[in-house]
Amino acid sequence: MLVLRRRVGEAIVIGGDIEIEVTEISRTRVKLGVKAPRATCIVRRETVPIAAENREAAAILASHGSDGVREILRRLSAAADSEP
Amino acid sequence: MTERNVIHSPWLGEIEWNPGCELLFPGGLPGFETERRMIPVEIPAQRPLVYLQSLAHDNVCFLALPVLAINPDFQLRLPEEEKAAILLPEDCEPVIGADVLCLGLLVPSEHTVKVNLNAPIVINLHNSMGVQCVSTGEHPGSFRLEENGRWEMAC
Repeated sequence: MLVLRRRVGEAIVIGGDIEIEVTEISRTRVKLGVKAPRATCIVRRETVPIAAENREAAAILASHGSDGVREILRRLSAAADSEP
Repeated sequence: MTERNVIHSPWLGEIEWNPGCELLFPGGLPGFETERRMIPVEIPAQRPLVYLQSLAHDNVCFLALPVLAINPDFQLRLPEEEKAAILLPEDCEPVIGADVLCLGLLVPSEHTVKVNLNAPIVINLHNSMGVQCVSTGEHPGSFRLEENGRWEMAC
């Protein structure tokens, strides 16, 4: 990993067309401004596994179908029935 | 002649929807950044399941549950950016059911499903704007629906 120090107002350039500027620094966080071609997807790192999960979630009806939905409902009902 | 708002879902059939029911996700969802408009569909016999049907793509449909149906002790922590995304005031501590609807997306997991409560869908009930709130996982996140209907922590 390349590690660089930057002050507020300073920036780095990636690949000639992506620029990341430090716009604000607080005690616990850094605010970054990103200039990039419109087609560039810019996301927070923690959303990357969520994107994969969401793609799986979008496939649930194709993979489970109506039988799968019935089974989910059966299990949910089982929980409700077992409550005092 | 009034134009009907109709979408043809491969799983839900023909859905005629009221523009007032439309949910707007300004940033889409992670992995679905262009999915900005959805409608929530509830089938009375299938409550509390909620279908989130894309209005842009007929074949994009998520299955969701209210988070409180999974974990009644769920506490929503909504960072500033997510509040801003759905036009909630910065100093607002939204209440589930009064200010926001909080849903967990069901993800296939072998013969059952799991839900990641560290990435709930949060919908501002006052303006129908939505965002997926992704936290860094300080609290147990993934829960799996077991045979007996209980939600157990998933690895």
